Amino acid sequence: MLSAQERAHVTQVWDLIAGHEAHVGAELLLRLFTVYPSTKIYFRHLGTCPDEAQLQSHGQRMLAAVGVAVQRMDDLRAALSPLADLHAQVLRVDPANFPLLIQCFQVVLASHLQDEFTVEVQAAWDKFLTGVAVVLTEKYR
Amino acid sequence: MVHLSGEEKAAIATLWGKVNPDEIGGEALGRLLVVYPWTQRFFDSFGDLSSATAVMGNPKVKAHGKKVIDSFSNGLKHLDDLKGTFSSLSELHCDKLHVDPENFRLLGNEIVIVLALHLGKDFTPKVQAAFQKVVAGVANALAHKYH
Repeated sequence: MLSAQERAHVTQVWDLIAGHEAHVGAELLLRLFTVYPSTKIYFRHLGTCPDEAQLQSHGQRMLAAVGVAVQRMDDLRAALSPLADLHAQVLRVDPANFPLLIQCFQVVLASHLQDEFTVEVQAAWDKFLTGVAVVLTEKYR
Repeated sequence: MVHLSGEEKAAIATLWGKVNPDEIGGEALGRLLVVYPWTQRFFDSFGDLSSATAVMGNPKVKAHGKKVIDSFSNGLKHLDDLKGTFSSLSELHCDKLHVDPENFRLLGNEIVIVLALHLGKDFTPKVQAAFQKVVAGVANALAHKYH
Protein backbone atom coordinates (compact mmCIF):
# COMPACT_ATOMS: atom_id res chain seq x y z
CA MET A 1 0.00 0.00 0.00
CA LEU A 2 2.89 2.37 0.74
CA SER A 3 5.27 3.15 -2.11
CA ALA A 4 9.02 2.78 -1.63
CA GLN A 5 9.32 6.56 -1.29
CA GLU A 6 6.55 6.65 1.33
CA ARG A 7 8.20 3.87 3.31
CA ALA A 8 11.45 5.83 3.25
CA HIS A 9 9.67 8.90 4.67
CA VAL A 10 8.20 6.77 7.46
CA THR A 11 11.47 5.10 8.43
CA GLN A 12 13.50 8.34 8.21
CA VAL A 13 11.15 10.14 10.60
CA TRP A 14 10.99 7.07 12.88
CA ASP A 15 14.80 7.16 13.16
CA LEU A 16 14.38 10.60 14.76
CA ILE A 17 11.72 9.36 17.20
CA ALA A 18 13.46 6.11 18.21
CA GLY A 19 14.94 6.44 21.67
CA HIS A 20 12.47 9.21 22.54
CA GLU A 21 9.29 7.13 22.59
CA ALA A 22 8.41 8.14 26.17
CA HIS A 23 8.64 11.89 25.55
CA VAL A 24 6.98 11.83 22.15
CA GLY A 25 4.28 9.50 23.47
CA ALA A 26 3.66 11.72 26.49
CA GLU A 27 3.27 14.80 24.28
CA LEU A 28 0.96 12.88 21.96
CA LEU A 29 -1.30 11.85 24.83
CA LEU A 30 -1.25 15.31 26.41
CA ARG A 31 -2.35 16.83 23.10
CA LEU A 32 -5.04 14.19 22.67
CA PHE A 33 -6.49 14.80 26.14
CA THR A 34 -6.22 18.60 25.90
CA VAL A 35 -7.70 18.96 22.40
CA TYR A 36 -10.21 16.09 22.58
CA PRO A 37 -11.15 15.66 26.26
CA SER A 38 -13.70 12.93 25.51
CA THR A 39 -10.81 10.58 24.64
CA LYS A 40 -9.85 10.48 28.32
CA ILE A 41 -12.65 8.01 28.96
CA TYR A 42 -10.42 5.34 27.43
CA PHE A 43 -7.57 6.10 29.82
CA ARG A 44 -9.26 6.16 33.20
CA HIS A 45 -6.44 4.04 34.63
CA LEU A 46 -4.26 7.13 34.24
CA GLY A 47 -6.49 9.12 36.60
CA THR A 48 -8.40 12.35 36.01
CA CYS A 49 -5.23 14.40 35.76
CA PRO A 50 -2.38 12.18 34.56
CA ASP A 51 1.07 13.35 35.58
CA GLU A 52 4.16 13.39 33.39
CA ALA A 53 5.31 9.97 34.63
CA GLN A 54 2.00 8.34 33.77
CA LEU A 55 1.86 10.01 30.34
CA GLN A 56 5.42 8.89 29.60
CA SER A 57 4.77 5.34 30.75
CA HIS A 58 1.68 4.91 28.59
CA GLY A 59 3.02 7.04 25.77
CA GLN A 60 6.14 4.90 25.61
CA ARG A 61 3.98 1.79 25.20
CA MET A 62 1.95 3.34 22.38
CA LEU A 63 4.99 4.62 20.50
CA ALA A 64 6.75 1.27 20.92
CA ALA A 65 3.80 -0.30 19.10
CA VAL A 66 4.16 2.31 16.33
CA GLY A 67 7.81 1.27 16.16
CA VAL A 68 6.77 -2.34 15.65
CA ALA A 69 4.48 -1.21 12.85
CA VAL A 70 7.34 0.73 11.22
CA GLN A 71 9.60 -2.35 11.29
CA ARG A 72 6.90 -4.56 9.82
CA MET A 73 5.07 -2.33 7.35
CA ASP A 74 4.77 -5.28 4.95
CA ASP A 75 3.18 -7.47 7.55
CA LEU A 76 1.01 -5.18 9.69
CA ARG A 77 -1.84 -7.61 10.33
CA ALA A 78 0.46 -10.28 11.75
CA ALA A 79 2.65 -7.78 13.60
CA LEU A 80 -0.30 -6.03 15.29
CA SER A 81 -2.58 -9.05 15.72
CA PRO A 82 -2.32 -9.19 19.54
CA LEU A 83 -3.01 -5.44 19.75
CA ALA A 84 -5.93 -5.81 17.35
CA ASP A 85 -7.37 -8.52 19.64
CA LEU A 86 -6.88 -6.25 22.65
CA HIS A 87 -8.68 -3.35 20.98
CA ALA A 88 -11.54 -5.55 19.77
CA GLN A 89 -12.14 -7.52 22.97
CA VAL A 90 -10.99 -5.31 25.82
CA LEU A 91 -10.38 -1.68 24.92
CA ARG A 92 -13.14 -1.28 22.31
CA VAL A 93 -12.06 2.26 21.42
CA ASP A 94 -14.65 3.71 19.06
CA PRO A 95 -13.03 3.83 15.61
CA ALA A 96 -13.95 7.54 15.30
CA ASN A 97 -11.20 8.31 17.81
CA PHE A 98 -8.29 7.09 15.70
CA PRO A 99 -8.38 10.11 13.31
CA LEU A 100 -8.23 12.34 16.41
CA LEU A 101 -5.06 10.57 17.61
CA ILE A 102 -3.61 10.77 14.09
CA GLN A 103 -4.27 14.52 13.95
CA CYS A 104 -2.38 14.96 17.24
CA PHE A 105 0.44 12.75 15.94
CA GLN A 106 0.76 14.95 12.84
CA VAL A 107 0.85 18.08 15.02
CA VAL A 108 3.62 16.54 17.17
CA LEU A 109 5.63 15.77 14.03
CA ALA A 110 4.94 19.18 12.46
CA SER A 111 5.92 21.16 15.55
CA HIS A 112 9.17 19.23 16.05
CA LEU A 113 10.26 18.71 12.44
CA GLN A 114 8.97 22.08 11.14
CA ASP A 115 10.44 22.63 7.64
CA GLU A 116 11.45 18.98 7.45
CA PHE A 117 7.78 18.05 7.78
CA THR A 118 7.23 18.35 4.05
CA VAL A 119 3.91 17.57 2.40
CA GLU A 120 5.39 14.25 1.20
CA VAL A 121 6.36 13.28 4.76
CA GLN A 122 2.92 14.28 6.05
CA ALA A 123 1.15 12.28 3.33
CA ALA A 124 3.27 9.18 4.02
CA TRP A 125 2.66 9.31 7.77
CA ASP A 126 -1.06 9.94 7.34
CA LYS A 127 -1.33 6.90 5.08
CA PHE A 128 0.82 4.77 7.41
CA LEU A 129 -0.99 5.70 10.63
CA THR A 130 -4.39 5.29 8.98
CA GLY A 131 -3.29 1.80 7.90
CA VAL A 132 -2.33 1.00 11.49
CA ALA A 133 -5.72 2.23 12.72
CA VAL A 134 -7.51 0.07 10.15
CA VAL A 135 -5.65 -3.02 11.34
CA LEU A 136 -6.32 -2.23 15.01
CA THR A 137 -10.09 -1.97 14.41
CA GLU A 138 -10.44 -4.72 11.82
CA LYS A 139 -11.49 -7.44 14.26
CA TYR A 140 -14.18 -5.31 15.93
CA ARG A 141 -16.94 -7.29 14.20
CA MET B 1 -20.67 29.99 18.90
CA VAL B 2 -17.13 29.02 19.92
CA HIS B 3 -16.44 29.06 23.65
CA LEU B 4 -12.91 30.23 24.25
CA SER B 5 -11.41 31.31 27.56
CA GLY B 6 -9.69 34.67 27.84
CA GLU B 7 -6.38 32.81 27.85
CA GLU B 8 -7.29 30.99 24.63
CA LYS B 9 -8.40 34.19 22.87
CA ALA B 10 -5.15 35.88 23.86
CA ALA B 11 -3.07 32.93 22.62
CA ILE B 12 -4.87 32.93 19.28
CA ALA B 13 -4.41 36.67 18.79
CA THR B 14 -0.70 36.54 19.71
CA LEU B 15 0.17 33.54 17.59
CA TRP B 16 -1.91 34.56 14.58
CA GLY B 17 0.19 37.69 14.59
CA LYS B 18 3.37 35.59 14.32
CA VAL B 19 2.48 33.83 11.08
CA ASN B 20 2.06 35.09 7.52
CA PRO B 21 -1.59 34.36 6.70
CA ASP B 22 -0.87 34.52 2.97
CA GLU B 23 1.51 31.58 3.20
CA ILE B 24 -0.60 29.56 5.62
CA GLY B 25 -3.58 29.39 3.26
CA GLY B 26 -1.79 28.10 0.18
CA GLU B 27 0.24 25.67 2.27
CA ALA B 28 -2.83 24.26 4.02
CA LEU B 29 -4.89 23.94 0.83
CA GLY B 30 -1.96 22.37 -1.00
CA ARG B 31 -1.46 19.82 1.76
CA LEU B 32 -5.18 18.99 1.70
CA LEU B 33 -4.99 18.27 -2.04
CA VAL B 34 -1.87 16.09 -1.70
CA VAL B 35 -2.63 14.18 1.52
CA TYR B 36 -6.29 13.61 0.54
CA PRO B 37 -6.14 13.52 -3.27
CA TRP B 38 -9.88 12.94 -3.67
CA THR B 39 -10.38 16.55 -2.57
CA GLN B 40 -8.99 17.53 -5.97
CA ARG B 41 -12.45 16.75 -7.36
CA PHE B 42 -13.51 20.33 -6.61
CA PHE B 43 -10.60 21.92 -8.45
CA ASP B 44 -10.73 20.64 -12.04
CA SER B 45 -10.06 24.14 -13.34
CA PHE B 46 -6.87 24.59 -11.33
CA GLY B 47 -4.51 23.07 -13.89
CA ASP B 48 -1.56 20.89 -12.94
CA LEU B 49 -2.18 18.96 -9.70
CA SER B 50 -0.31 15.87 -10.89
CA SER B 51 2.41 15.79 -8.21
CA ALA B 52 3.07 17.18 -4.74
CA THR B 53 5.50 19.70 -6.25
CA ALA B 54 2.95 20.76 -8.87
CA VAL B 55 0.23 21.23 -6.24
CA MET B 56 2.36 23.18 -3.76
CA GLY B 57 3.66 25.46 -6.53
CA ASN B 58 0.34 25.90 -8.32
CA PRO B 59 -0.54 29.63 -8.44
CA LYS B 60 -4.30 28.94 -8.39
CA VAL B 61 -3.88 26.83 -5.25
CA LYS B 62 -1.95 29.65 -3.59
CA ALA B 63 -4.50 32.25 -4.68
CA HIS B 64 -7.43 30.21 -3.46
CA GLY B 65 -5.60 29.39 -0.25
CA LYS B 66 -5.17 33.11 0.37
CA LYS B 67 -8.89 33.68 -0.21
CA VAL B 68 -9.75 30.93 2.27
CA ILE B 69 -7.40 32.24 4.95
CA ASP B 70 -8.60 35.83 4.53
CA SER B 71 -12.08 34.55 5.23
CA PHE B 72 -10.77 32.54 8.18
CA SER B 73 -8.98 35.65 9.54
CA ASN B 74 -12.27 37.49 9.34
CA GLY B 75 -13.87 34.66 11.28
CA LEU B 76 -11.28 35.15 14.05
CA LYS B 77 -12.70 38.65 14.55
CA HIS B 78 -16.25 37.34 14.87
CA LEU B 79 -15.92 34.26 17.06
CA ASP B 80 -19.20 35.15 18.79
CA ASP B 81 -21.17 34.88 15.57
CA LEU B 82 -19.49 32.46 13.19
CA LYS B 83 -22.81 31.23 11.80
CA GLY B 84 -23.79 34.78 10.82
CA THR B 85 -20.32 35.59 9.49
CA PHE B 86 -20.18 32.53 7.25
CA SER B 87 -23.87 32.40 6.31
CA SER B 88 -23.59 33.42 2.67
CA LEU B 89 -20.39 31.42 2.18
CA SER B 90 -22.26 28.41 3.55
CA GLU B 91 -25.03 28.87 1.02
CA LEU B 92 -22.45 29.25 -1.77
CA HIS B 93 -20.61 26.04 -0.82
CA CYS B 94 -23.89 24.10 -0.71
CA ASP B 95 -25.87 25.50 -3.62
CA LYS B 96 -23.18 26.43 -6.14
CA LEU B 97 -19.97 24.62 -5.21
CA HIS B 98 -21.54 21.40 -3.85
CA VAL B 99 -18.70 20.77 -1.42
CA ASP B 100 -19.06 17.95 1.13
CA PRO B 101 -18.77 19.66 4.56
CA GLU B 102 -16.35 16.95 5.63
CA ASN B 103 -13.81 18.89 3.55
CA PHE B 104 -14.13 21.90 5.89
CA ARG B 105 -13.07 19.69 8.79
CA LEU B 106 -10.15 18.25 6.82
CA LEU B 107 -8.97 21.73 5.73
CA GLY B 108 -9.32 23.00 9.30
CA ASN B 109 -7.01 20.22 10.45
CA GLU B 110 -4.51 21.14 7.73
CA ILE B 111 -4.52 24.77 8.92
CA VAL B 112 -3.71 23.50 12.43
CA ILE B 113 -0.86 21.32 11.13
CA VAL B 114 0.63 24.21 9.12
CA LEU B 115 0.42 26.47 12.19
CA ALA B 116 2.25 23.78 14.21
CA LEU B 117 4.93 23.60 11.53
CA HIS B 118 5.51 27.36 11.61
CA LEU B 119 5.18 27.94 15.35
CA GLY B 120 7.09 24.86 16.57
CA LYS B 121 7.36 24.77 20.37
CA ASP B 122 5.03 27.77 20.70
CA PHE B 123 2.21 25.54 19.40
CA THR B 124 1.58 23.98 22.79
CA PRO B 125 -1.27 21.52 23.48
CA LYS B 126 -3.39 24.37 24.89
CA VAL B 127 -2.77 26.53 21.84
CA GLN B 128 -3.62 23.59 19.57
CA ALA B 129 -6.84 23.07 21.54
CA ALA B 130 -7.82 26.71 21.06
CA PHE B 131 -7.19 26.66 17.31
CA GLN B 132 -8.92 23.28 16.89
CA LYS B 133 -12.00 24.80 18.58
CA VAL B 134 -11.90 27.69 16.12
CA VAL B 135 -11.49 25.55 12.98
CA ALA B 136 -14.29 23.26 14.20
CA GLY B 137 -16.50 26.31 14.74
CA VAL B 138 -15.75 27.65 11.27
CA ALA B 139 -16.40 24.23 9.70
CA ASN B 140 -19.75 23.97 11.49
CA ALA B 141 -20.67 27.52 10.43
CA LEU B 142 -19.86 26.70 6.81
CA ALA B 143 -22.04 23.60 7.00
CA HIS B 144 -24.88 25.36 8.82
CA LYS B 145 -26.89 26.45 5.77
CA TYR B 146 -26.72 23.11 3.96
CA HIS B 147 -30.04 21.65 2.94
